Amino acid sequence: MTRAVLLPVERDWFALPMHTLQEVVAGPMVTAVPAAPATLRGLFNVRGQIVPLLDTAALLGLGRMTAAPFAAVVQTADGPAGLATTGVPEPAELRTRIGPADSRGAVATYAAAGRIATLLDPAVLLAPNSAGAAT
Amino acid sequence: MDVTGQEERFRQLFAEEAEGRLATLSELLLELEAASGDAELLASVFREAHTLKGSAAVVGLGEVGRVAHAMEEILDGLRRGERAATPTLVDALLRAVDGMRELIPAALGGDDRAAEADRLVAALQEPSAAGTAPEPPEPASEAGRPAETVAAPAGGTRGGETIRVPVERLDELVRLVGEAAAAYLRVGRLLAERLGLDPAGVPELRELSRVLGDLQQRTLRARMVPFATIVEPLRRATRDLARSLGKAVELDLRGQETELDRGVLERVTDPLLHLVRNAVDHGLETPAEREAAGKPPNGTVRVHAMQLGSEVVVTVTDDGRGIDVGRVREQASKAGDDLEGVDDDEALYAIFRSGLSTASSVSQVSGRGVGLDVVRASLEAVRGQVEVRTEPGGGSEFRVSVPISMAVLPCLLVEAAGQRYGIPMHSVVTTEAAGWTEASLEGRPVIRVRDQVLPVSSLAATLGTGEAAAGPAVVVASLTRRHAFQVDALLGQREVVLKDLGRLLPRVDLLGGASVEPDGAILLVLDTSGLVERARRTAPVAGVPVPSGTAARQAPPVAHASILVVDDAPVVRELERSILERAGYQVRTAADGQEALAMLAATPGDLVITDVDMPRCNGFELTSAIRAEPQLAGLPVVILTSKADDADHRRGLDAGADAYVVKSAFDEQALLDVVARLLGGAAAVGVPSTSADGGPR
Repeated sequence: MTRAVLLPVERDWFALPMHTLQEVVAGPMVTAVPAAPATLRGLFNVRGQIVPLLDTAALLGLGRMTAAPFAAVVQTADGPAGLATTGVPEPAELRTRIGPADSRGAVATYAAAGRIATLLDPAVLLAPNSAGAAT
Repeated sequence: MDVTGQEERFRQLFAEEAEGRLATLSELLLELEAASGDAELLASVFREAHTLKGSAAVVGLGEVGRVAHAMEEILDGLRRGERAATPTLVDALLRAVDGMRELIPAALGGDDRAAEADRLVAALQEPSAAGTAPEPPEPASEAGRPAETVAAPAGGTRGGETIRVPVERLDELVRLVGEAAAAYLRVGRLLAERLGLDPAGVPELRELSRVLGDLQQRTLRARMVPFATIVEPLRRATRDLARSLGKAVELDLRGQETELDRGVLERVTDPLLHLVRNAVDHGLETPAEREAAGKPPNGTVRVHAMQLGSEVVVTVTDDGRGIDVGRVREQASKAGDDLEGVDDDEALYAIFRSGLSTASSVSQVSGRGVGLDVVRASLEAVRGQVEVRTEPGGGSEFRVSVPISMAVLPCLLVEAAGQRYGIPMHSVVTTEAAGWTEASLEGRPVIRVRDQVLPVSSLAATLGTGEAAAGPAVVVASLTRRHAFQVDALLGQREVVLKDLGRLLPRVDLLGGASVEPDGAILLVLDTSGLVERARRTAPVAGVPVPSGTAARQAPPVAHASILVVDDAPVVRELERSILERAGYQVRTAADGQEALAMLAATPGDLVITDVDMPRCNGFELTSAIRAEPQLAGLPVVILTSKADDADHRRGLDAGADAYVVKSAFDEQALLDVVARLLGGAAAVGVPSTSADGGPR
């Protein structure tokens, strides 16, 4: 069993291990960065620290999100990053593994709280030299 | 073997100590080569090797101890007069130092490096190295021995105690001071919004602002290291390369006491090494070629560091053959870069583009078409710039400018499409008030700024955030190009405390940094080079809209006053000249007071800017002489000097100077303001000074 937080991203649900989540920010004040890649929605201020808000769908190669009213701030060895979500993230327990997942940074698919969610590995998804994040 | 925490700490300490001792050894060995009979110097070298051996034994690095012992044996022979410190012997000792630099970290990491240590010991014991074999002839008299005229850092060994502090702790302090400054601004804003109080009118807040400003300056200073820190690798590079090429090189190092941020210095070391190697390899001729050209056989490479305002300027000058601009054009053309219609001064900058080399032969050191582009890129990464001048047959000068610190960046704040941006001040050339006239050149919008025609773009359109508005224009300079950007408004000049953006931020070419504003919003600082490149790529054929109110505004009145700049440092003279000429003044220069007096006697001019410390006739004497001469007595004199103490200040004013400006506190606008005030006009360049929300200074 994995304790996780479920992230609504457009019509899909993704999951992050709970221990990687620092906090959820509602209505982040985002400063758009001109000429940024599709994966970067902008920068926002988390208690004095400047954090990139990343487009979760774009990171997974699923196109750009229409809106990002919430940000799930995750801590990694390379610093914090915000993953944009289209709704309020929810805590859940991942009990039943349904099958594998294809996207880079995705670990497996689970059934959780009546939903199907893809568990993400932030260390892989956000790796600085990965195609989706920093280049 | 498992090491306990304490052992690990000792090993770490040894690594730090060894790094310092090897650097000292290398430096002393270079001195020894030029003064082999100096018993005190020999004793110092011996002591370093001996102490290194002892410390290596303490942490159980026997292989390092063996190499140090072999060095000791040779040095002992030198002390007893059985050997001489020939270049070959010094070569062997320096190679042992280099070998230990690689050996120590590997051995500390647990690698078995016994074989490598054996090799280093054997190399030291070879007859040629040991000084018992005949010395091969030198390539030319004095060849390969950089005769150094090194000015010792001011103060030398300083009194007082020192402790080692990990750089991360200092970085954390810098970050926290930045937080404190931001919090202060938030408090001020809160007082204004909630209580209607003007923060500037609250004495306690003013005092807090002053203390925070001091704290910020001193904290940043704690990260500073003197330029002297990188002198040893510069000496080694010059000495080794000169020896291998059979050239006679005098290395003239100046301004070693100049301090800058450790991180900046680390990033600037490789570019400087490259420029010095280039000067020795390509710039300087062989002794025979020099004599044939009527020059002394010894070439000179001068490396001069100095602080100018919030920047450190390092010049690398050689008195060699100069750069063949014709060949630069030829090579640039082959690389597809059209320099038709570009004057020689600008065409020269093609050497910084990738893949271009003017060297007729490829050497191990340079001439492969890589290097100067890397120099440029490395300097841009620390918000630095490089300029180049050359004189056929007379030599070349590369002028590297880097900010003293990367944590605080003076910026011009502008607004475009409703968003605030910071533009680093070091890249701002000038501004044009709203109402400037747009022209068209080859279908592209241009702006005329004094004698220059520059491309102009809307900042908002370049950033892709909106349409152009009829606002002022900011002229910025990237490394090789100038470009004007139309903005909605100029919001003032301010020091911006840059925040760490972490490693997860995707690379964005237009982004130079970011800061948190008092209201919690994020201020983006633009990367000028990226901005200019993007503007060039996206420039529309149809121009930005002509500002409304069709009356074409003439360029601001340009002062045509004639100013004499007197300074014995060519780089300072040229810097002042470029600042003043950009502002529209006519500039003459003199290298000392005596030359200045002769020029003033012929043509008095309108104003004099003089340094103090100069040969033949210093700045105080020059000022007194001007006041004593009835024809010149009314001439305004500005003293611009690094002498900052009150006594010098008084002496300058007593001599009759109208203004006294200290170089370390000097910035372009301050100088222009002083000049404009003394000439009785407005400042020629209209960059606004500090905005109301300037924060702690």
